[in-house]
Amino acid sequence: MTTPELVFLIMRWWLTIGAFVAVVFLTFGVDRIDEDARGAYVFRPLLVPGILLIWPLVLWRWFRLETGSGLEPARYRPVRSAHFITSIVMAALIAAVIFIGLSQRQSWPSDFAPQQLSAPGE
Amino acid sequence: MSVKYIPVQWNRFKWYYDAVLLISVGACLWLFINVTPGVLSHERPIDPQVHNARAFGVCAFLMLSVILASGPLARLNDRFLPLVYNRRHFGVLACFVAMTHASYIINWYFNFSKSNKYEALLTANTSYGQVAGFPFETFGIFAIICLMILAFTSHDFWLKFLSPPVWKRLHYLIYIAYASVVAHIAWGILQDQRNHTLTAIILGSAMTVAGLHIAAALKERREKDPAAQAATDGWVRVCAADDIAEGRAKIARLSGEERVAVFRQDGKLSAISNACAHQNGPLGEGRVIDCFVTCPWHGFQYDVRTGQSPAPFTEKIPTYNIALRDGAVYVDPKANPPGTPVDPIPAEAT
Repeated sequence: MTTPELVFLIMRWWLTIGAFVAVVFLTFGVDRIDEDARGAYVFRPLLVPGILLIWPLVLWRWFRLETGSGLEPARYRPVRSAHFITSIVMAALIAAVIFIGLSQRQSWPSDFAPQQLSAPGE
Repeated sequence: MSVKYIPVQWNRFKWYYDAVLLISVGACLWLFINVTPGVLSHERPIDPQVHNARAFGVCAFLMLSVILASGPLARLNDRFLPLVYNRRHFGVLACFVAMTHASYIINWYFNFSKSNKYEALLTANTSYGQVAGFPFETFGIFAIICLMILAFTSHDFWLKFLSPPVWKRLHYLIYIAYASVVAHIAWGILQDQRNHTLTAIILGSAMTVAGLHIAAALKERREKDPAAQAATDGWVRVCAADDIAEGRAKIARLSGEERVAVFRQDGKLSAISNACAHQNGPLGEGRVIDCFVTCPWHGFQYDVRTGQSPAPFTEKIPTYNIALRDGAVYVDPKANPPGTPVDPIPAEAT
């Protein structure tokens, strides 16, 4: 099995499990843990793509809310301190990828004959 | 604010916001496809699919740049807050524009491969061990997956279900996704770009986003909310009562990220959590009118005496027990359960 075939096999399983979680959660679970969802059905299909992608997180939160531990005081503690380091890291990454990317230009600063860097793909 | 979930919440402002957004995206695409195609290196013969792919790609990048710039702009100057108000619609549209770009690329460059076109995308260039010629598609694939996660978890249901802190942590993916998009462009189109108008647009946008984030982060660090001072009985001192203007609040840090906002309303003081139940917006920066404070981010309202939203809405936030001692405001740092009524106290000793 090639690496891309393995990647797509994992993806198919991930999405299949996600679809199962979506059916069970949107049919039974969501009414049990969110009063605003009771009697509201039109919005539920909008949740399917998100559940397909992050179903482990959905299962974790569903368990927390079912067991009453999901309404913790931490809901009211915004993650503001992480913002500083995140901003600095993103700015540094942007500067780095631009510098590295442009420094690899074969035609920079003046044109010259391009070189083949690797063998062509499939 | 909603009582029952609906697919998309719109109001007059959001209609205007979305109309301006759609017109701007249409204008951007029209500009790059019809008016200045040379900016996208179209001076050489080129297929319409590639032409469109590049236009959608540039449009998605510019949209992400505006989205990423709006947050720090609003922190630097609150006149930009309206940009943030409906930013989730902006993000969802940016995701679909980026997916259209990817669709044009895959259906043009990989459609006639011997293998599945998606597998061909992963096998066309596997030079992961070198900087020059690194498969820049990988950066784009990663960014698209991040954007899809963000767009598909943008409904208000997800905020309540995941809780605002978990939702925010998940949506921090936007930062790494944006850096990945910049890498996708720098290792991709900019390697062969002859018309450097686009190079200037890309570099200008990316560096503006980076600069605004640094400026906002430094401002936030300089103007950090003051910490409440511990008293002997376990309560904490927030500020002098006279420091709180009528209809406004003073914010103080309790422990970690927890903050209390003490409001003055009709000469009486009330203490509630500073974090809105919706997205943890800073309630203490809002104004109180008729006992209700309005969150400056998205307009959610709470009664400062009870921490409850006005009926029929159901949002609740914690309240704090409060006392006035020698003209200073003290609160019990142990928050009451969300929605617990606490009698306001006079702001001046009687």
